[in-house]
Amino acid sequence: MIILGANSEIAREFTELMLQKQSFVTVYLLSSNAEQLVTFKKHLEVKYKTEVKIIPFDLMGQIKLDFSAMEYNLVFSAAGYLGDTEAGVIAKTEDMSRIMAINYSGLVHFLNAVANDLLEKENGTIICISSVAGERGRQSNFIYGSAKAGITAYLSGLRNFLYKKNIHVMTVKPGFMDTKMTRGMDLPGPLTINPKKAAHLIYSGYKKKKNTIYISGIWRLIMFVIRNIPEIIFKKLSL
Amino acid sequence: MKIEKTISNWGNFPKLKASEYLFENLHKTQGILEAEESVLARGNGRCYGDAALNNAVVSTLSLKHFLSFDETEGTLTCEAGVLFSDILNLVVPKGFFLPVTPGTKFITVGGAIAADVHGKNHHKDGCFSEFVTQLKLVIDTGETIICSRTENTTLFWETIGGMGLTGIIVEATFQLKRIANSYIYVESIKAKNLTEIMALFEASEDWTYTVAWIDCLQKGKHIGRSILMRGEHARPEQLSNKQQKEPFKLSPTKAIKIPFNFPRFVLNTLSVKAFNWLYYNKQTPKTIKKVTHFEPFFYPLDSLLEWNRIYGKSGFIQYQFVIPKGVGKEALQDILQTIAKSNQGSFLAVLKLFGKNNPKAYNSFPIEGYTLALDFKVNKKLYKLVPELDAIVLKYKGRIYRAKDSLSNARLLDYVKVHNTKFNSVQNRRINKATP
Ligand SMILES: Cc1cc2nc3c(=O)[nH]c(=O)nc-3n(C[C@H](O)[C@H](O)[C@H](O)COP(=O)(O)OP(=O)(O)OC[C@H]3O[C@@H](n4cnc5c(N)ncnc54)[C@H](O)[C@@H]3O)c2cc1C
Ligand SMILES: NC(=O)c1ccc[n+]([C@@H]2O[C@H](COP(=O)([O-])OP(=O)(O)OC[C@H]3O[C@@H](n4cnc5c(N)ncnc54)[C@H](OP(=O)(O)O)[C@@H]3O)[C@@H](O)[C@H]2O)c1
Repeated sequence: MIILGANSEIAREFTELMLQKQSFVTVYLLSSNAEQLVTFKKHLEVKYKTEVKIIPFDLMGQIKLDFSAMEYNLVFSAAGYLGDTEAGVIAKTEDMSRIMAINYSGLVHFLNAVANDLLEKENGTIICISSVAGERGRQSNFIYGSAKAGITAYLSGLRNFLYKKNIHVMTVKPGFMDTKMTRGMDLPGPLTINPKKAAHLIYSGYKKKKNTIYISGIWRLIMFVIRNIPEIIFKKLSL
Repeated sequence: MKIEKTISNWGNFPKLKASEYLFENLHKTQGILEAEESVLARGNGRCYGDAALNNAVVSTLSLKHFLSFDETEGTLTCEAGVLFSDILNLVVPKGFFLPVTPGTKFITVGGAIAADVHGKNHHKDGCFSEFVTQLKLVIDTGETIICSRTENTTLFWETIGGMGLTGIIVEATFQLKRIANSYIYVESIKAKNLTEIMALFEASEDWTYTVAWIDCLQKGKHIGRSILMRGEHARPEQLSNKQQKEPFKLSPTKAIKIPFNFPRFVLNTLSVKAFNWLYYNKQTPKTIKKVTHFEPFFYPLDSLLEWNRIYGKSGFIQYQFVIPKGVGKEALQDILQTIAKSNQGSFLAVLKLFGKNNPKAYNSFPIEGYTLALDFKVNKKLYKLVPELDAIVLKYKGRIYRAKDSLSNARLLDYVKVHNTKFNSVQNRRINKATP
């Protein structure tokens, strides 16, 4: 199994859950902060007696990994970057290119490479976390939102493309999650889920071979409402 | 990154607005130590009073990784924020158990060392520290020091029971105990009064686990009415067929969450009386023997997650003292009488006889003698009752457990000696202020 964004709490919870449910020869942890993964690697080795390999990997750079040499049939990506959520975001070019690369362009390069390799391996599953933020651009985070919209569209195309090849793609759209990305933000309690719960929902979606899941389910309804607000009203709102 | 929030420990009293950092790495911790006037490590907040409170706290809950587990020797190394519940999940199926455990499994390893927790086997095995071979501590300079029984020993013993005042424990190695299954053979024995229960404790010295539940609303000749529970890890032949099928079973029960703060009146004297009566009469014969899973035996309250909310918004305190064995009877008599007179019933009252203490672990709370832990809802009358109880404990040369305290006389708490200024707590400042 390949985990991208292994320092994300959700990635870690999901990795542990998968190891509790089935066995994997090797767990590859891909991360832009590889040195922070050393204890997590030991933890997995102690708890699950599995082989764990840490691979330094940055979505801002070139993809130089040889996936064909890796043994896996599940790829999970929790990579994402929210960036500055203050109004000045359109002035911050550096932050903007990070947002676009980590949530979209870099990720597309990565997933393309993986998909090509899975085609050779002839089976597998790709799970990628996008966001409800991709369903409608809002003033507070629309660079991020548009990148998420892009990755959502990409994933649906990829799913379609790989369908006949025995490779499944699942898109995960979280609403609010209580993670290091949102630490210190004032999130609405009832709509916010913790990484452990999120991992469980993702796992059950995976088991049921879902195409797109919202976590939690209530967000499907919320986004239905938000998508259907007429633009003439929406543009005046401060969401 | 820090967040501003109101924090409190298990008693929901007192509450404090504080800056909470999450432990991320050594570099960032150094920054925190430079930026803040004083800092305190905080585990899972399962102490009751003001021990794990400070204006700036570093939560160790992010330090939740296992680092190594030697399954032949039974030695475990993990980060300090690992919970006892996680350890049980890992080690029980492999035939090991915690060498010492308090009455909840939701505490961190760091909290267990900082408070040097005791369990039902204190008279046999001592405190948790007896099994700790090494720890890693981040001190005021931001350096990490490895301390053990042979290396940096002064700091090692100062940190044991040091209530977080020496630094942030980030990692520890300790010895587990081997078990043959998850079950405990338990005998529950009724005691009519104080004389009986004390005799039962003495007679049960050879049992690994002993503890008594005491009805502290009794007066006169019924004072000390209680039930002693003594237990041993069950032998394979004591298990039922069903138990034998899955000898290392984990949690038998599903946890129930108490969803909101109960209104205060729920816990009035009457309901406490009813609870006590029920508990006592539930068992008709004098002795009941059974084989039970370790979970209800060690953690009877853990299946009611957040049970602390039943005391309502104003919270509660826990009052736990120990008095030397020799004066046990007079002191317990005095204290139980004072409580009964106050009509401040305790929902839970747990009595235990501690064994000898390890003089090296000089900051640890237990000394040989009787320890009683009581819960009281916070209300006005408490500010009168606590000093009354303190006076009795003081008179008999006892002491109070810092991990439970929020209101007691500093002279009962100043047995903890730590030389440091960077790490501090609301509790420690309160104690230092009162004892110049
Ligand atoms: C239901 C219940 C039953 C209990 N039964 C018992 C019992 O039988 N015996 C017993 O001894 N105790 C008992 N306790 C108390 C509990 O075991 C201790 O208070 C323990 O210290 C709590 O651990 P924690 O991780 O929640 O620490 P916290 O409550 O967060 O902190 C407690 C103290 O430890 C320090 N600390 C925590 N982590 C670190 C660290 N990494 N480095 C340095 N210092 C640190 C804090 O600064 C604070 O002073 C019980 C508590 C409850 C709620
Ligand atoms: N939290 C929420 O409320 C919320 C809501 C909707 C969607 N999401 C999405 O959920 C996913 C998980 O996020 P999270 O909340 O767990 O936040 P997070 O902790 O910040 O996780 C995101 C992860 O992305 C990886 N990453 C960042 N920059 C990278 C780079 N240059 N190259 C490679 N990987 C990089 C990091 O992992 P490494 O350090 O290991 O590289 C990081 O841990 C993200 O896609 C996020 O957009 C979150």
